[in-house]
Amino acid sequence: MKLFSKKIKKALIIGIDGVPYSLLNTYIKNDIMPNLKKILSQGFTLHQMNASIPDISSVSWTSFNTGVNPGEHGIYGFTDLKPSSYSLYFPNSKDIQTPTFWEILGKTNQKASTLSQKYYHKIGRPYRSIIFNVPHTYPALPMNGILVSGFVAIDLRKATFPESAYPYLHSINYLIDVEAEKAKDDKVAFMKNLFECFEIRKKAISHFFEEDSWDLFFACITETDRLHHFFYDASKDEKNPYYESFIRFYVELDKFIKILYDGFAKISQENGFFMILSDHGFAPIKQEVYINHFLKEKGLLVLKEEGEFYEKIGDQTKAFNLDPCRIYIHDKGAYPRGKVRREERTEVLREIQQVLQTLKGENGEEVIDKIYKKEEIYHGPHTGSAPDLVCLPKDGYDLKGTLEKKEIFGQNIFTGMHTWHDAFCILPSKIHLLEKQPIEHQIDYVLQYFAQ
Amino acid sequence: MNTEERALPIVIVGHVDHGKSTLIGRLLYDTQSLPPDRYAEIQKTSEMLGKRLEFAFVMDCLEEERSRGITIDTTQTFFKTPKRRYVIIDAPGHKEFLKNMITGSSQAEAALLIIDAFEGIRDQTRRHAYILSMLGFKQVCVLLNKIDLVHYSKEKFSDLKNQVYHFLKQLNIHPTFILPISAIQGDNIAHPSIKISWFDGPTVLQALDTFEELKIEEKPLRFPIQDIYMMDGKKILVGRIEAGHIKKGESVYLLPGKKKVEVKKIEKFLENDVTIANFEESIGIYLKGRHRVKRGQILTTDLFPTISDKIKANIFWMDPMGYHAGEALLFRCVTQEVPCRIKKINRKFDPASMELTEEDASSINGAEVADVLIQLDEKVVVDPFNEIPEMGRFVLEKEGRPVAGGIIPLAG
Amino acid sequence: MDHLSRLENKSIYIIREAYYQFKDIAMLWSVGKDSTTLLWLCRKAFFGHIPFPIIHIDTSYKFPEMYQFRDERAKEWNLNLLIGRNEEKLKEGMGPGRGSKLDCCNELKTNALKGIIKKYRLKAILLGIRRDEHGIRAKERYFSPRDSQFKWDYENQPAELWDQYQSTIEEEEHFRIHPILHFTEFDVWSYVQREELPIVPLYFSKNGKRFRSIGCVPCCSPIDSKAQTIDEIVEEIRVSKTSERSGRAQDKENVYTMQKLRALGYM
Repeated sequence: MKLFSKKIKKALIIGIDGVPYSLLNTYIKNDIMPNLKKILSQGFTLHQMNASIPDISSVSWTSFNTGVNPGEHGIYGFTDLKPSSYSLYFPNSKDIQTPTFWEILGKTNQKASTLSQKYYHKIGRPYRSIIFNVPHTYPALPMNGILVSGFVAIDLRKATFPESAYPYLHSINYLIDVEAEKAKDDKVAFMKNLFECFEIRKKAISHFFEEDSWDLFFACITETDRLHHFFYDASKDEKNPYYESFIRFYVELDKFIKILYDGFAKISQENGFFMILSDHGFAPIKQEVYINHFLKEKGLLVLKEEGEFYEKIGDQTKAFNLDPCRIYIHDKGAYPRGKVRREERTEVLREIQQVLQTLKGENGEEVIDKIYKKEEIYHGPHTGSAPDLVCLPKDGYDLKGTLEKKEIFGQNIFTGMHTWHDAFCILPSKIHLLEKQPIEHQIDYVLQYFAQ
Repeated sequence: MNTEERALPIVIVGHVDHGKSTLIGRLLYDTQSLPPDRYAEIQKTSEMLGKRLEFAFVMDCLEEERSRGITIDTTQTFFKTPKRRYVIIDAPGHKEFLKNMITGSSQAEAALLIIDAFEGIRDQTRRHAYILSMLGFKQVCVLLNKIDLVHYSKEKFSDLKNQVYHFLKQLNIHPTFILPISAIQGDNIAHPSIKISWFDGPTVLQALDTFEELKIEEKPLRFPIQDIYMMDGKKILVGRIEAGHIKKGESVYLLPGKKKVEVKKIEKFLENDVTIANFEESIGIYLKGRHRVKRGQILTTDLFPTISDKIKANIFWMDPMGYHAGEALLFRCVTQEVPCRIKKINRKFDPASMELTEEDASSINGAEVADVLIQLDEKVVVDPFNEIPEMGRFVLEKEGRPVAGGIIPLAG
Repeated sequence: MDHLSRLENKSIYIIREAYYQFKDIAMLWSVGKDSTTLLWLCRKAFFGHIPFPIIHIDTSYKFPEMYQFRDERAKEWNLNLLIGRNEEKLKEGMGPGRGSKLDCCNELKTNALKGIIKKYRLKAILLGIRRDEHGIRAKERYFSPRDSQFKWDYENQPAELWDQYQSTIEEEEHFRIHPILHFTEFDVWSYVQREELPIVPLYFSKNGKRFRSIGCVPCCSPIDSKAQTIDEIVEEIRVSKTSERSGRAQDKENVYTMQKLRALGYM
């Protein structure tokens, strides 16, 4: 019996890494996911959504978590170069320049952003969150609640906050990620490992969901991204040897969503906020495209013999590419060997855009779909360190930042690639979207809910 | 040849939540003083100045600090204006770390006192201002931060400005400027802001550039003996000149005994025939003839210092464990180390409330300030702090730990 | 007094104070420019006759130029040189190939030092650490206690008030003293320039590269530079902005991350 008339506020967010809107739509229609179909009929709408640019998990989830674009949060990829150097480093949670939504809700944020300023006075009291397996939250930083980092994370201890949550995870042999290295040698074993990992994941999620107290619960399933990288060709092809396993995975995913949804309905007494989303879509790969080799052929990139990775960049270089397609002008002053002067930039940018548009794949089709200058898509204090040009490819052409290749096109063991335009989100139907939203706008609905 | 200017050391004090860390980050950022690859660890290089940035973690690189959101220890960080270099000794504000704060303050020559324009003067603000005053800071600039939270209101600024002015006057602090700023928004730190167009004073950087380097006036010699080495069968006294200068052939006093001695030779490694050594130099001295010398004795050119085994002092107790009159302590002033006891606690004072708490007390608590009489086992040599600071400040230790810092006041 | 002299005099004061407070003291010499500067300051403090040993922790993987330099100076400056090696682990084949880089440093450097401290019952060590070297080092104090497990209890730092350096220690603890804490990298080079100190030739450019910091051969990478003399180095640093340890590869996590990303088709 409730003595207080205060409304309970509860939110459940389920993230499913790399699940495309188009695939999900197909599976729902074909009754492969009957539970999700039912949920949708109970006041939820499935929308197609745009991922971050570039459409990599570390960037996209960070955009979702912080509610701002990379120009504010500062994460542009899994890799980046240290300022004024060619040294590669791997940005982690500490490099995120703006607060995450759980820090805003929990009132533990030390940083500020356009989002946190908006809600600073509107969140009445600190709310406790459980953030489970969300990518790019490693190392686990102190917050109001429990946080277990998702990939890329090496040390489970460092991936857990607070320390008291660690013993349980250790006891169930919790795995942060499948061993993708195994996929090369033994696909069958890898698929098995995927399901095992998923089982442990579900167990751990259920444990914290039921045993702990929380106002907001956000769990991510990341196995889907791994499944898609290696087995996407099986997603719709019944003749593919992995088709059954692929479908089975989605069936189990569907069941798990129901378990969480039903549990949530009970706890939140019909007043909760529920959403599901992915951070990017997927498409079958036709070919990998090695942009740096392309730049080399066009005389824009000149490499030296010695040096590791980007240390190879020679002084005659005008531009170079980082994964997947982040092109940086080799500016004088910005890089030790950079020679492109300010006055020359516009011309160099124009030249790059022009040659990129000439890139043709099989059957002479276009490879590049969109080219953006940084000012067009990034806004905020960290736009300065953004790539000068970002390209989005046509589906099927996976753009890469490797410096090793000797051709422009190639194949690999992967059968799926990320897409920007085909992510999804499921929101309460009362939220009407006039147009397709980018991922960074979605968290606003959650904060609005807590701000009422 | 290295022509690097000496950096002017400054300390930033004030209440823990009033925005010191943000201010420091902003100072570093707006003067392009952050080393570029620190950015990779903390934040990326940027061309545009952001509207809403927090730099709390620029200074805080210790994990614990991040989880507790407070700066534990002191850090030295450099920044520059076109005029000169500065080194910030960041002094945290949390009560528990008072002793670290004292350490930070003690090396600075000027201070920025930061006060939240919305919250106003808090206890910590008072305590820190009091300590600034006790440590003899003459150059203090007050920053009324978070002016954005009071909607850049001229009235609110003026009100608080007056309050601050009067409060500091009681402490004998005359601030060089009282400025409205917003560290998080970047208003009036490096650049004036249109939002504060009603204010016609300087920016923080301009105010800093008005601070003067402490002039080294000609003071009488104070050379405390740090150690005695034997070189070629002869005793050489080593130490640092804490005030004044010393000349070869000069006649000086060896205190506390008041014996007159002659400086036979000034020794510096690889330098021949040194005729004079100045303030802050670490040197060796040979005296003419044979004398009983030991660490802690002081060479002077005059007999004005106080030479006594009973001294009056103002102390601030740093250790959370308090003190009961009569307990044993160790007195350390320059190289003098003498056991002592606090015999009498004349007045206790709470800097937070600016009120007298007790006359003739029998104990002192953590973070309290008191007027005391110290009884030492031997005679020591001291000067008033306002005349020769190095000889007028001391530390009290208990079981090897510093528990209090003190000042010798002017006589009378 | 000019800037460098001010730094120098302060360091000499700290060195003499350390010697007074702890008689059983030694100086750790890595043969690099910072500790060679410290060594020179010790010579100044004791007028050429340093009354305590100078320790070189030898992992056996150092550059040959370093060994040569070390032995030349030891002779020239009449140093009481002690060489510390973890013989046991070296016999077992410990090196950068075996285990992670962190393990290698731990065994060959840290444990070798612990061995020497124990053997000679040293109460304190002088080190050439500078405050501007790395973020976390910025918190170091002039006199810093370390317990016998070499952990640094940075929360319970003793107050350092007005040059009164803390000096009472418990059993098993030893003190670390940093007399050049207030020197920046630029200051060290300027001081080397002013005093005309000898420096390991690795610091000078050869084939367009020089070392910014030197240590064990497998873990040090040179940077691009044309500076062949101290004057040129000073000038280069005046302009340069990258900080010193960028050559050292000790990040286990980076290796792991790279592996993971590779397996997923990145990089």
